[in-house]
Amino acid sequence: MKARIVDHAGVLRIVDLFRQQGYQVIAPVRGRGRDTYYDGVTDENRERIEIHLPNPQYPPKRYVFPHIERFLNARTAGGQLEIEPAYYGPKRVLFGIRSCDVAGIWHLDRFFLGRDFRDPYYASRREHLLLVNVVCTDPEQDIADNCFCVCTDTGPAAREHFDLQLMDLHNGEFMVVAGTPAGEALFADPVFRKCTAAQVERRRALLSEVRRQFKTMTSWFAATVRYVSQGRILDQTWEEIGNRCLECGGCTYVCPACTCFTVTDRQVGPNEIERVRIWDSCALGGFTRMAGGHNPRRAVHDRRNRRFFRKLAHYFIQRELSMACVGCGRCAAVCHGDVGMPSVVEMIRRATSETEKLEPV
Amino acid sequence: MKAATDNIYLPKVAILDRVVDEIHEVKTFYWHFEDAEEQRKFRQFRPGQFAQVSLFGVGEFPLSLPPSPTEPETFFTARQVGSCTAALHALKPGDQFAVRGPYGNGFPMESYYGRNLVFVAGGIGLIPLRSCIIYALAHRERYQRIQIFLGARTPCDLMYRADLRQWEQSAGTECHLTVDRAADGWTGNVGVVGSLFQKPGVRMAVDNTVAFVCGPPVMFRFVIKDLVALGLPETAIVSTLERYMKCGVGKCGHCCIGVAYVCVDGPVFTYEQLKKLGEDI
Repeated sequence: MKARIVDHAGVLRIVDLFRQQGYQVIAPVRGRGRDTYYDGVTDENRERIEIHLPNPQYPPKRYVFPHIERFLNARTAGGQLEIEPAYYGPKRVLFGIRSCDVAGIWHLDRFFLGRDFRDPYYASRREHLLLVNVVCTDPEQDIADNCFCVCTDTGPAAREHFDLQLMDLHNGEFMVVAGTPAGEALFADPVFRKCTAAQVERRRALLSEVRRQFKTMTSWFAATVRYVSQGRILDQTWEEIGNRCLECGGCTYVCPACTCFTVTDRQVGPNEIERVRIWDSCALGGFTRMAGGHNPRRAVHDRRNRRFFRKLAHYFIQRELSMACVGCGRCAAVCHGDVGMPSVVEMIRRATSETEKLEPV
Repeated sequence: MKAATDNIYLPKVAILDRVVDEIHEVKTFYWHFEDAEEQRKFRQFRPGQFAQVSLFGVGEFPLSLPPSPTEPETFFTARQVGSCTAALHALKPGDQFAVRGPYGNGFPMESYYGRNLVFVAGGIGLIPLRSCIIYALAHRERYQRIQIFLGARTPCDLMYRADLRQWEQSAGTECHLTVDRAADGWTGNVGVVGSLFQKPGVRMAVDNTVAFVCGPPVMFRFVIKDLVALGLPETAIVSTLERYMKCGVGKCGHCCIGVAYVCVDGPVFTYEQLKKLGEDI
């Protein structure tokens, strides 16, 4: 991978370069307080782009897999049914997404495009989308209390799956790494300067320092994956986790790697129906309920168990060649019952250490 | 832009030919695709597969395919239980709807060549098994004994009457019926479907046998118990699951149980696999 150096003004120059090439640039901006969100960059809000700010709760997932997305329109004209699919695939850059979210989009790529059936709507949105990753280096702004990417091996600096990666060297310089030919093509602009060995060393030293700044050290994560995969977690532990779930679905909506959706039809004209897909959540009671009322997953802990099994079981990690948890900590931030991923890992650790005491291996 | 034909979510226009009443609230819908090429592609289906049926404005839902690929006609049989099936029941011949598929693994009928086949169905559980039965009878010489055990609530709830008569009369096929509650004129067995296995004169095939089981969850549990007690290995008991599904292609997540997506890894599983998945049937 090629690396270059830009100064602070050069960062905005990268945004401008993409916009000049006809890309719509999406970047995180500050709202009120600690609230941040992704917004389209315009001439007016261009100055509001920041490198260091809290990661938005609403993940950039929606630019490849929107909350509500049109599938097709069905028209009935004189008894004849016409079905027309609707695709949307703009030239777009996601600027300033964190390493966890890069891993999230990689997981979605694997899930929607990597298996027998290729999702055409996802493919269309993904085809002309570039990812500009920002490495989290500011412990005050970038790294939230719940971040645990160091445990899921997705951060603080993504190693792959981005087009460009920006890292603040905290001396007025930013290192830019190209991950794909599309990213590297940008290096033709004179704003990019050659990178020295000293700067590469500074990056390495900074990263190793940043890794120590994480507050949530869910170091038992790998062990949890093993325990979940081997089915060694007691029903009682799942029940404890389930008892604390309020069934709001929040964890699945903020998750950069959750993929479940439902499909519904809505009337848009006298003889026209629009079919849309909408995010769905395994936390909700009706998720598996069939016509006639039979629901194979009844208890809430059945469903919580499902979510963590789907995310952590080795079978699925192998199946998609990527894990459905990227360590962003959003589920922990939004969960009112405190059963986000870090807490669940901790509950499993505590429960298992007790049973292990009884049955030494 | 990818060609529209590559869209896994895009259903194709189908036309309803005729509707046949089966039993109370259950009808069979004969249909064909408007496009002959789509019809030809769809007809490659295997017994045990399913299709996603679209009734625009109401929704899309999975239905199993009761016809055998050896039959010329394509049809669905559905009980009216929810909004989608209600809309299907309201269709009249000539009306248009949309279908995509076939999906799922289906029953590996070829791998059962040379074995005895036992079919156990309760109520509308016969719908997916009908395909296998017709398929097996069409290739009668490739299988050993064929035994069919059917249960229904009352004699009026026995479906596919014409097929039943044929199965009862055809040589080399044993067809046993039972009902939970007899009605006037019923001379057959009364009791749950498992009670047929013990009936005098019924010699259950056990060795070199595959048992197909489909029915309501409670019937399923008891029949499995009976079959295992008779000595059938868990790998020789196959069933087909139904789940809430939105996509049919392993994306929407609704049908995921354990490590399997019912739509792509199933809906056909052996009892051994089902036990490992660890969820209600």
